[in-house]
Amino acid sequence: MNIDKPDEVTTCWVQLYSDGLYSWALHKTSNKETAEDLVQETFLVAVKSAEQFRGDSNPKTWLFSILNNKINDHFRKSYRNPVISDDAIIDLIFDETEHWKESQKPQPWLTEQSNLFDDAEFQAEWQKCLQRLPAHWNAAVQLKFIDEKKSEEVCQELAITDTNFWQILHRAKLQLRKCLELNWFKK
Amino acid sequence: MQQLKYFFISSCKKASSLIDKKSVMKLTLHEKLMLHIHLSVCDACTEYQKQSRILHDLLQAHLKNTNPDQVTQVVNNELKTKIFTRLSEEK
Repeated sequence: MNIDKPDEVTTCWVQLYSDGLYSWALHKTSNKETAEDLVQETFLVAVKSAEQFRGDSNPKTWLFSILNNKINDHFRKSYRNPVISDDAIIDLIFDETEHWKESQKPQPWLTEQSNLFDDAEFQAEWQKCLQRLPAHWNAAVQLKFIDEKKSEEVCQELAITDTNFWQILHRAKLQLRKCLELNWFKK
Repeated sequence: MQQLKYFFISSCKKASSLIDKKSVMKLTLHEKLMLHIHLSVCDACTEYQKQSRILHDLLQAHLKNTNPDQVTQVVNNELKTKIFTRLSEEK
């Protein structure tokens, strides 16, 4: 194609589907920049392989399948980055005798759990807390829950040991709990 | 006697990690016993166990959502401009 501007069909797809694709990528990765990159790459792939796209299938479905592949690749890649043993959160919560620090002791959360799922304000805080998790923790958590994989399979896929995996989950939960306590439960 | 004590009594740091371990894999008999005994005397960890379950459910609800139409829709017009720029650069 020898035109400077994207063709009409692509323009139309960007207008119609980029917000939906972006919202999905943001939900999955909890990171704005990552989500934007993934959607941009999705359109680059879409334009390059436009011939492969059969006109009879739904462009939205096709674009989402490209994006989902990109998202999964992203999780695998961010997990492969060297894992720094990050015990800052553990040291923040437990003292030298391995007991809860007085200020960090779990106190009852005075909310009905069932209300949290439908509470838009809570969900917004929850999203923010997820966004603060280190990328490789997020990747492990995502891969575990998305595909409902048994932890052994996730470990194989990410080439981590079982022990490493549940310890990541443990740290992720401690951090999420701390974040929610600061931003939600103690309000 | 001291050794026996350490066999059964675990620290809060250990107990809380066992609580999260339990949510993804089976505990050994020794670990089960340690956790059980610890929880019977420790209110803080009992509370953590409840919170850990809530976090588990929240994560599951968030991540098991596999329908792109059900997530909060965000309009991002800046991104559209970026995509158009990238696409024309690639040509």
